[in-house]
Amino acid sequence: MSATKTFLLELHCEEIPARFLRPLHVEFNHSYFKFMEKESLLPTGMAVTPYGTVSEPLPDFMSPRKLAWRIPGLPAAQPDQTETQVGPPQRMCVDEAGKPTIQGLKFAEKWGVEFSAVRFEQPAGKKEPCAVVTITKPGRPTVELLAEALPGLIAGLHVPKAMRWGSSEFEFVRPIRNILCLFGEQVVPITVDGVAATNTTWGHRLFHRQHPEPVKIATPESYEAALEAAGVVVSVEVRRQRIAAQLETLAAEAGGRVVADPELLDTLAEIVEFPKVVRGDFPSDFLELPKEVLVVSLREHQKAFCIEQADGALLPCFLTAANREDDPEGFVKAGNEWVLKARLYDARFFFAEDRKHPLADRLEKLKALTFQRELGSYHEKTGRVVALTKALATRLSTDDAHIDRALEAARMAKCDLRTLMVGEFPELQGVMGGEYLRHEGAHEEVWKAIKEHYRPIGADDAIPGTPMGCLLSLCDKLDTVAGCFAVGLIPSGSKDPLALRRAGQGIVRILWEQGWPLTLADLVEAALKVVAPKATKPEAETREALLTFFKDRVAYQLELAGYAGSVRRSASAVGWMDLVALKARCEALSAFAEDARFASLAQSAKRIGNILKDEMPIEAFEAAVLQDATERALAERLKALEATGDHGTLLAALADLAEPLEAFFTAVMVKCDDPALRAARLSLLHRLRQAFLRVADFSLWQ
Amino acid sequence: MHIQELILRLQRFWADRGCLIGQPYDLEKGAGTMNPLTFFGALGSKPWNVAYVEPSRRPADGRYGENPFRVYKHLQFQVILKPSPAKVQDLYIESLEALGIDLSKHDLRFEEDNWESPSLGAWGVGWQVVLDGMEISQFTYFQQVGGLDCRPVSAELTYGIERICMFLGGYDNIFDLVHGNVTTDDGVFPVTYGQMRQREEFELSAYSFEHADIDLHRTLFDAFEKEGWRLLNDHGHFLSAYEQALKMSHTFNVLDARGAVSTTERPGIIKRVRDLACACARAYLEHAEGAAVPVEAAGKGGAQ
Repeated sequence: MSATKTFLLELHCEEIPARFLRPLHVEFNHSYFKFMEKESLLPTGMAVTPYGTVSEPLPDFMSPRKLAWRIPGLPAAQPDQTETQVGPPQRMCVDEAGKPTIQGLKFAEKWGVEFSAVRFEQPAGKKEPCAVVTITKPGRPTVELLAEALPGLIAGLHVPKAMRWGSSEFEFVRPIRNILCLFGEQVVPITVDGVAATNTTWGHRLFHRQHPEPVKIATPESYEAALEAAGVVVSVEVRRQRIAAQLETLAAEAGGRVVADPELLDTLAEIVEFPKVVRGDFPSDFLELPKEVLVVSLREHQKAFCIEQADGALLPCFLTAANREDDPEGFVKAGNEWVLKARLYDARFFFAEDRKHPLADRLEKLKALTFQRELGSYHEKTGRVVALTKALATRLSTDDAHIDRALEAARMAKCDLRTLMVGEFPELQGVMGGEYLRHEGAHEEVWKAIKEHYRPIGADDAIPGTPMGCLLSLCDKLDTVAGCFAVGLIPSGSKDPLALRRAGQGIVRILWEQGWPLTLADLVEAALKVVAPKATKPEAETREALLTFFKDRVAYQLELAGYAGSVRRSASAVGWMDLVALKARCEALSAFAEDARFASLAQSAKRIGNILKDEMPIEAFEAAVLQDATERALAERLKALEATGDHGTLLAALADLAEPLEAFFTAVMVKCDDPALRAARLSLLHRLRQAFLRVADFSLWQ
Repeated sequence: MHIQELILRLQRFWADRGCLIGQPYDLEKGAGTMNPLTFFGALGSKPWNVAYVEPSRRPADGRYGENPFRVYKHLQFQVILKPSPAKVQDLYIESLEALGIDLSKHDLRFEEDNWESPSLGAWGVGWQVVLDGMEISQFTYFQQVGGLDCRPVSAELTYGIERICMFLGGYDNIFDLVHGNVTTDDGVFPVTYGQMRQREEFELSAYSFEHADIDLHRTLFDAFEKEGWRLLNDHGHFLSAYEQALKMSHTFNVLDARGAVSTTERPGIIKRVRDLACACARAYLEHAEGAAVPVEAAGKGGAQ
């Protein structure tokens, strides 16, 4: 086996937006491996996935100014390729004396070989021996192939917000200022938009204040060490780990722990080339602001973490990452503190201004705030959510005072959209409404419900912590989903601009976790009623679309809950709208699937399904006609079965059927000649199946 | 550093690097981009470097002179480099050093911030430049202006003058900044930003939020629009027509601060400004194909 070499490409650009780094990195991997495959350069046994990654993960070299790929295992050249060429029949190439004819010589000449290299064989599909030559095409040097392909691969990268610069028509994510491209120690001679590749690159800006010369990269293997010496930690994962470690140390020194925010950590790792976490302080009187306001304000404005104590209370300090290795004169700390103070000053101004008037004053102002063009203002939305809350709360509670509070929460839920604070920090919607009402002395149930009514915000987020919060969240989302469906805004494929699926999933999760006696059909009917005045689509159409939509959400919920595929399919096939019953069936089935008798029972259930497939259902059951002991025994069991309500007991009773059923199928031929007997047996099986279907459709098992 | 010193240094720096030093345009506007030196200068194929100060009005940002960080009117220092030079980031960094910022002691970052002006039909991509956590400049590669592709692409650098001054001096209140010194026979008297501007902030905030006559501004908006199209359509005058578009834009900003524009109404109003501005841009380019080029022609560039 010949020695392989490592390929290294670095595009050194002006600062690339963090959000584009990873997609571009992955996309290039993908197109690079496609190229390798096409040129027969892939080492044998190397697995290529659709994402272009190999079994061994490639280093994630990306930084604000760099996108780089180092890929080992490349041969120095393509393998030689042999081709067989078939020429004229033997009799035309050689004369009777065995000498080559003119035609024979021409054939050899055509393929650049001596006539002696021509063989005579009978190729498949030919009726006689023909002249045959084997040509060896030497594999081309890898470096040549790379040089040809790379400019196209780079230019072909998909950039969602591409730009032009200078006088060129070339488009990329940001201007490319230097290209480093090595194959082993050799420079791959490529030029992209006038920039020719070399074996040098640039380190950190600060580094080059003292070192005006570029950094030479002798071999691909020395790349990250050479760059680190020049002030750039080129692996984003290494930077992330270093930031995380520094955060932990500095937070502990400050006497607390970091308020976790994995997304912020990722962002910081992506926007610095050499991370140094800096701790800053802010005046402690800002701690009077709600914790959420401080956390969001620090994150959004300064990309900074808060530090909390064991009881969750914040400390008056923050941590953020600078793009350099130290802070020699404290300018970085002082600068960030200065900016943060200005920001917090603003936040405190909003907090004070907003509380000059009761939150309820904003209700009128919601009229001027559009929720959705066809569905009207937030004021109108509020009216619908109140109506929905009323319809559902009265089914969940008989306590009038409690119901009144739920209605109050629904009425006030959207008011904070007109506050200055939410205008500045939209992600504080709900939180601020709750906080302002708490300050006004509202009932705890009410402000807590409002504070959390946007939850769950994603799949990882919890549902609201209080039942009233759950109800408000459910009604708000239900109005949004049903309202949009009623005016034809239905998610399709990857298009879901209003995040209706997420809202729908939230509804299902709340029902699932709360276990309320409300079915999805109940919800859909209640919602259709309140959105009717705005509907532009026929109600029947909307109902059907909503039910299909929720059925998918329920299926996903079952998946999230971790039930096996067979449990999910067979349990939901007999009814998915009543989540309480569905959950009970799934639980019972999952437990029962472990039971030794289960396989036999499932088998029998399937058999029953097959027998009944082409039969009209016969409801009337003539037990007296039955003859065999096994079928009489079954009939007895059926009676008990039909009297059982609870799913667990029912399944236990079904389990006891395993043996009698097996005995029945061994002893009896169902479709016998006697019409009365046959009818009785069919109806026995039909009724048994009905009993099974109360738990699961076993035909969908496996 | 005094405000005037900062301006003088920036002007000197960019003049030394081949920029014309322009002057503010004497109409109300929200940003230096709206100055014809930029709006028209960024169009067409000819090279064009210019730098100037632009007082920029944002009626909704008015705080009656009471907020130490936010004001109705602030100063932008605007640089246009067309085509954008290969070393444009280095040039920008050198300009910070010319202001006395020793970058070996600070944290400088270029964070994604794409710029868009719906009322000018303009957009570009670029960054906000962040120094020790503070946004001090906007850096944009223009992709379109007046609805037309920029070929070549201009780089636009916008410095927030007051912010940089506050930051460099560690000021906690914009009104404490010193604009410069007045020297008389009796001595040297520093003049603060507050002395020069605080009353103006108060009155203009009060005007934007309370006193501006809504009906008058609606009438004005319509009238400016009509006038602009008349100048453009009947006379082919894109400069005077563009002035009408600027007036429409400011009138809209006043109406907006006054709370007289609903969210549904807003895109339609902005489109009316954009339509006129874009038509001016097209007329300018048609004209620029000919002989006399008002903005680009030598000797006329900065003089309005």
